[in-house]
Amino acid sequence: MPNLVKPSLLLLLLFSAPLHAGWLDWWSEDEPLVVTVNSAYIDVYTGPGRGYPIFYALEKGETITLLKSRTGWIKVATARGQEGWVKRDTMADTIDSTGEPPDFTDDYRSDAVVGQFELGAAFGDFDGADSTTLSLGYRFTRNLTIEARYGEQAGSFSDSDVASLGLTHQPFPEWRVSPYLGLGAGIININPSATLVDTEDREDTVWQASLGTYVYLSRRFFLRLDYTNHYLLTSRETNDEVDEWRVGFNVFF
Amino acid sequence: MASRIQRIFLAALACLPLGANAQQDDPLEPIVGSDIERRDIDEDMLDSENFEIGVYGGALGIEDFGSNAVVGVSLAYHITEDFFFEAIYGVSEAQKTSYELLSGAVEFLTDDQREYSYYNLSLGYKLFPGQAFWSENTAFNTHFYVTAGGGNTEFADNRYATYSLGAGYKIYFTDWFALDIGLRDYMFSHELFGEPRDTNNFEGRLGLSVFF
Repeated sequence: MPNLVKPSLLLLLLFSAPLHAGWLDWWSEDEPLVVTVNSAYIDVYTGPGRGYPIFYALEKGETITLLKSRTGWIKVATARGQEGWVKRDTMADTIDSTGEPPDFTDDYRSDAVVGQFELGAAFGDFDGADSTTLSLGYRFTRNLTIEARYGEQAGSFSDSDVASLGLTHQPFPEWRVSPYLGLGAGIININPSATLVDTEDREDTVWQASLGTYVYLSRRFFLRLDYTNHYLLTSRETNDEVDEWRVGFNVFF
Repeated sequence: MASRIQRIFLAALACLPLGANAQQDDPLEPIVGSDIERRDIDEDMLDSENFEIGVYGGALGIEDFGSNAVVGVSLAYHITEDFFFEAIYGVSEAQKTSYELLSGAVEFLTDDQREYSYYNLSLGYKLFPGQAFWSENTAFNTHFYVTAGGGNTEFADNRYATYSLGAGYKIYFTDWFALDIGLRDYMFSHELFGEPRDTNNFEGRLGLSVFF
């Protein structure tokens, strides 16, 4: 039982943290974000995609209100109340009230993801078994992330699942390809296939050491490659070691 | 944080001389002038809607175990205008096989073992964007999509590594509310009948989703 108390306390910490990071701002009424068109024209599309029809062209000097964004598109409203989507890149052709284009940078900034959650999903090979892993992390400094992971493995002779909690460290968070080291601990449940005679389930403590890298694909979206060494503390005479290779995606939100 | 301080500082700098001048010239101007707030706009101030959560229901053909009702939930993240990432979880219940029905007394699985659930993580690609006209003046944005991915299926007390392919059509009633008509094929291999058997389990479904 004490095994369960620790992770749940940490999870509680994990979830209470964002309250300090400005999540409450969501409920406060924001002032409209108004910009002025500063190029000959900007095309307005009916939907957030280059294949949707253009139904309007914004003229130079026209003021527009930015409503929301989806992927590389921004929904805008004209002064007359018409609504449509413009490409995110066209923000460089507008100016805000300071006379400068608004800040829509494409660069990944390692400080911008501090205080953010990251949700990840990965596929991999767990010593021959197919594994699927979901993870939820919280980046509390530029280098350090605390992460809860849950993985399920389907093998020919047994199924298993691993729930664990770990800490990862990125020594160079500003790099586009940013390696990390991780340490974690958790619980593994192993259930031999029902078709086999010996169907005794096992639950063991597992220690994890990981080595991997983030590869950023857009401001908030990362490819993640991971190698994890699972060290199973079994009740038998020898402990087990399992190598796992994974590839997945992580998104910050 | 640094940019916020900069913003406050800039705003203060910009407002101070404005207020001072206005008071000298025209008594009406301070009221107007105080509305003009100079501020930098950056992307983080804009609400992003890249997540999509949905529910769906339909029919799932579990190979050898009949056609069955299925319900599920989905969570998607839209990476670019073309690609999205989707996680789904669905539940169903398998019927008896034809053999069980014909033989009368034979039962392969208990009721608990007939419970069927799956989850799947897929990468999707949107194609053929366009508008569908429902009347002369009403048009909805639409697009097709295809997905490919993998996950697990829990069935008959076992877990099966499952691969999936899918396609569908999406109709956006508003920017954030969409109807999804989809088809998925879940492929896994089991040994319930004694020897390995590759199965294709097709699902036809109707779903509703909201973006946030």
